[in-house]
Order: sequence, then C-alpha cells, then structure tokens
Amino acid sequence: MAESDQGLEAARLHGYADSTVIDRPGFDRRAFLRRTALTGVAAGSVSTLLAACGSSASGGGGGSASVFGSHASYKFVFVNHVTTNPFFTPTQYGAADASSLLGCSYQWTGSESSNVNQMVNALSSAVTAKADGIAVSLIDLHAFNAPVEAAIKAGIPVVAYNADAPGNARLSYIGQDLRKAGEKMGERIVSDVGSGEVALFIATPGSANLQPRIEGAEAAVKASGKPITLHTVATGAAVPGELSTIDAYWVGHKNTKGMYAVDGGSTESLAKVMQKYGLAAKGVKAGGFDLTEQTQNLLKAGDIEFTIDQQPYLQGFLPVLQLFMYKVSGTLTGLAETDTGLKFLNKETVAPYVSSKSRYEGTATAAKVIA
Amino acid sequence: MASVAGGSAAQTPPAAPGGSEHSLRAPTRRQVFERVVSLREGSIIVVTIITAIYFSANTSSFFTGTNFKTLLPYFAPFAILAAGEVFVMILGEIDLSIGAMYLFAPILFYKLDTSLGFGLVPGVIVTLLLCMVVGALNGFFVAVIGINSFVATLAMLFTFEGLALIISHGTPVATPGAQPPLGTFGKVFGGGTYAEIIWAVAIVAILQVVLTFTRWGLYTVAIGSNKLGAAEAGVQVKLVMIRNYMLCSLTAALVGIFEAVRSATVQPDPAGANEILFLAVAAGVIGGTLLTGGSGTIVGALIGALFLGILKDGLILQGVNANYLLFYTGLAVIVAMSANVYVSRARRGHSGSG
Repeated sequence: MAESDQGLEAARLHGYADSTVIDRPGFDRRAFLRRTALTGVAAGSVSTLLAACGSSASGGGGGSASVFGSHASYKFVFVNHVTTNPFFTPTQYGAADASSLLGCSYQWTGSESSNVNQMVNALSSAVTAKADGIAVSLIDLHAFNAPVEAAIKAGIPVVAYNADAPGNARLSYIGQDLRKAGEKMGERIVSDVGSGEVALFIATPGSANLQPRIEGAEAAVKASGKPITLHTVATGAAVPGELSTIDAYWVGHKNTKGMYAVDGGSTESLAKVMQKYGLAAKGVKAGGFDLTEQTQNLLKAGDIEFTIDQQPYLQGFLPVLQLFMYKVSGTLTGLAETDTGLKFLNKETVAPYVSSKSRYEGTATAAKVIA
Repeated sequence: MASVAGGSAAQTPPAAPGGSEHSLRAPTRRQVFERVVSLREGSIIVVTIITAIYFSANTSSFFTGTNFKTLLPYFAPFAILAAGEVFVMILGEIDLSIGAMYLFAPILFYKLDTSLGFGLVPGVIVTLLLCMVVGALNGFFVAVIGINSFVATLAMLFTFEGLALIISHGTPVATPGAQPPLGTFGKVFGGGTYAEIIWAVAIVAILQVVLTFTRWGLYTVAIGSNKLGAAEAGVQVKLVMIRNYMLCSLTAALVGIFEAVRSATVQPDPAGANEILFLAVAAGVIGGTLLTGGSGTIVGALIGALFLGILKDGLILQGVNANYLLFYTGLAVIVAMSANVYVSRARRGHSGSG
C-alpha cells in the first residue's frame, strides 16, 4: 500500500466506527461502544507498527520483540470457505507478511467448496490444536455461532474476515461493509442507468459474503424511486458456468439497460460478455466487484465502467495484526471493526493495478516496494 | 481408534479357519501379522494405524480426548455414505447421485417442515422415503432401461442438485430443529457430539451383517461377480439392483440431514456436495471395495473413511496449509492404495496355492 493511504485508512477506520456499524442488524450497543473505544487505539497502533516495519525491515526480522517485548511465537489459523480461490491469494500474502513482520505463523485451511461442515471441522481442529487465534470467513448466518462461541470459551480469540454474520460472537470483523458496498453500487446504477431493465448477477445467492450486496443495491434503487426493474440472476460458483449463464441472459434479454455483478467471478464473466458483444459501445452499462486480472484488463479496455476493490491483502494482514495485538496486550487492545474499503476503480484508476505485479493483488510472489 | 481395533478383532475369527490348517502350533507374531494384513480390510487397517501413530508422534494435540471429539465428524458422515455406496459398488455399478441426495434431502426436509407443516420427525421420514424413490429411479434407469450407471446417476446428480437450487431459490436457510438450544431431535439427528458416530457404527454393523450373512448380500456379490450367471441361477437381478440403489440414496439422504443439523444450516451450493460424493466413493475404494464389483466390505469403508478423516484432521492439526493439504492427501491415498493392491495380490496368491 502506498504511504499516503495509511492516513486515509486510519481515517476510514474512524469514520466506519462512527457511522456505519449502527446499520448492522443484530447490533449490540455495548459491544459497539467497547469497539469504538478500541478503534482509536488500534488505528494508532497500526500506524506505529507500519512505521516500525519501515525501520525494522532493514535491520532484519525479529523486530517485533524489540517493540512489544519478548513474546511466544503465536500461531493463527485462517478458516476460509474457498481455500484455493485466487481471490484469496493476496489475503494469504497479507497473512504471511503480517506473520513474518510480527514473528508469528499462520495456517490457511477450511473448505475448497464453501462446504460449511468442512469449515466447522477445520475450526474444531484449530481449537484442538490450541491455536493462539482464529480468523474465519462467516459465510453462513447460523453454522458458525456455536463453534465460534466454543472457541472463545476455550480461550481462543476469534475474528471474522471477508464475511460477517450478525449475532455471531466473533470479536471483530475485518472486511468490506458488504451492505454499504451494495448500496453504493445501487446508487451508481441509479445515476448511470436511470430507468429500464437491470440485471444483477450473483454467484451463490444467500451466502453471507454476497447477499448483503444484492440487498444493499436493491434498497438503494428502491429508495431512489426511479423506474428501474431489477432482475437477480444466480450464476453458480465456477467461472465457465457463470460465463455461459450471463451470455445466455444477454441473448435472451436484449432490452437490458444495465448489467451488474456482485462477486469477482461473475464480474469477470460479465466483462467478457460485454466484450464479446461490444455492449459498452451500444450503451449498456456494467460494473462489478473485485479485481481479477481479466476484470482489470477489460475495465481498462472500457468494457465495464467500474469495479469495487475491497483490498483482500488487508483481510489477511489485519486479522493477524489484531489477533497479535490482542495477545501481546493481554486482551487490552487490538480488536477493531475494520472496513477494508469500498474503492470504485474506473478505466483510469485501474491503470496502476494493470501495470504492476504485486503481492497486494496476488500477481507476484516476491515482495517489493512499488514506486 | 477403538473402532479400528473392534473392526479387526471382529473380522479375525472368520479368517482363522483357513489359515490355521497350516500350523497346529501357536501362531507366531509374523503369522498373526500376515493374517491381519491378508484380510480384505487388513492393509487399510495397518495403514490407518500407522497414520494415527505418525500424527500422535508428531502432533501433541492429536492423541487427546478433545481431538477424539474433533475427529468424529471428519469421518462418521463419510462412513455412512460409503456404506450405502459399497452396496452399489459391489454390483459393479456406481451411484454419483449421492451428492445430490446429500444436498437435496435437507432442503426437502426444510420445505416439508416449514412450508407444509409436517413436523420434525415425520418430515425426516417422508424425506427419506422420497429420496428412496429417487434411488429406485436410479435403479430403474440402470437395471431396467440399461443406461450405464455412471451416466445415469450423473444425470440424476445434476437433476436433483438443480432441483435443490430451484426449490431453495439458491438461498441457505436455518435447519429446523437444529437451532440452539438443541432439543432431542437435534441431538439425535446429527447435532449431538456422538450422534453421527453412533449412527455410523450402527449402520455399518447392520449393513455388514446384511452383506455377509443374508441372501440379499449374497445376491449382491453374485450379481457383481457374474450378472448373467446370477440371473440364470434364479436371482432377481433387477430387483436386487433397484433395492441397493434405494439403500444408497437412503444413507446419503440421512447424512445430508445429519450434516445440515450439525451445522444448523441448509446449504444449496452443489460445489460442496460434489466434493463429499468423491470422498465417499474414495472411502469405499480405499477400504477394499472393488470399483469393478464382486467384492466389498462395509467395515472397510468405515476404516477408509477413518483413514481419510485422520489424514485431514492430522494435517490440519500439524498446521498444513490448504494447497499442501490436497497434495499430501493425494500422495497418502496413492500410498494406501498401492499397499492395498499389493496385499490383495499377495492374498490371491496365498489362497490360490492353498
């Protein structure tokens, strides 16, 4: 991340805690106050730490002991719903980088195929292995409530990343505010399309990491009062299937004025369909989420108008950081609700992503400073 | 681990008469080892024990009471799935639609309970019956129409995964009767810590007895060895095949409900179900059942599932990352199967000479 973004990020941390948490259903005021109090401390510690990182990088590893005192080599476990999905490659780099910065280790496990039973099994194994902390993507509203409570009862702090479930006992959430992201997209649909038929593509409807975006978009369109008819279309979890679904949808619904997707795979497929039929030139509007390489290229070529970045790297880096702080501070500090962002990228602003290869986007393995 | 010891002990006596002709003296340690290994389940028992010892030695948290509980859901559902699948595999056929039953049953159960007001237990019973009808359809397509079982059940897999998505509108829902605090229904049907393993052991025991000691089991093996011969000997081949497919759908539907209750959520995403399907078939094959038919063991399927479960749990406990997990799992399965093939060849050679 560029140096100047740190301030922005910290500001966003504050802004998020002050305004948006309240919108969450199942919101707990007491927990909110506690978290808000922690946010300031944590945001401060982020910048201190990043500064420390700059100086200790030249001095070699093991710098964390000189800052925080000598600590055990903590082991944190990430439980993920699609462990081998390329979206999470930068997340794993983030977790790896934070771990080596702080003298910890991390494990990446869970399910390859959104199977919540396998995720619950992996979570139980992490508790059995006495992990020092667990980060889990809460893609289901019910499945993780009891296991997370059991882990916390066993003395293992649990944070959520990438997807959150209201009412879950997790100590903090690090990821995009999914409903707000959907609302922003909905506002964009209203201003770009204005009226007519609009398709919303979603890989797996109902999953807690995608559905809030659809709901947010629907709410924003409804609130605008514009004569826009939304059609939600399920595309499935695999890219080849998504491509044919979206292709077929366009062929069958040529009066569609705008097509939007709420997940990375569908966005990439949507962009390919837009390119195939030259729809941007015909005035069809399109946009979506996340930054696969194909999405970047097609956005730059002008086939879609925007994509929304949620900084997957930070979704690995910050959970390790928060869990680490929580451990070294003896639970006094570290946890903070963190919105990893809602960054609209367009044809121009996507350029640096296309031209650079980095761990932050999962396109390179080697760490290097991007000038 | 108790179930492994139990499984081998239970299987030793039937093998003993054949082996004991050779020596009147007390068997040496080597002979005992040879006898265990030459059981159909023998090599996988040995491989499983070695795997467990390896993880016990390398991971302090493996051989603990906590991990015993952690390990149960890693293999119990697969043991039940594989138990039903083995009945189809012995016929020389395959049932891929178990993935769809696993996915479809809890959604059907949810609809019956919430939309149609069946209540919990009647809902489960009707779900299981309907899934058995699907199994009968599988059997009908394979045995009566004569469609290749791989293709027929693949088509049924797609059909019912699609139907599951359609009736659920692709949206996960909360499993009825599985929300905390857990009632008796939830505890019995998969939610209790030991629920799935008790069901698994009971189902495996019953089906092993059916396979070994009843006419149904005998006919199943006969059809798998020589379909034409069995038919000429008066076995009602089509009926037995349809019955086995119904059994297979029943066990898969049961596991679907157990797993939905355990996780308190009904998930309509077929990706997870497809993975379950292959693991269940793998458990059966690793346990010593031939994909070509004519030979199979339910206890072996349980141990095959246990092997896969220990492997996955142990690797996660050791801190292995997801990408390496697949890699190691693949290697371990190859090693286990090589041992299986080698031992079964040795067994054939042994019985051939004797």
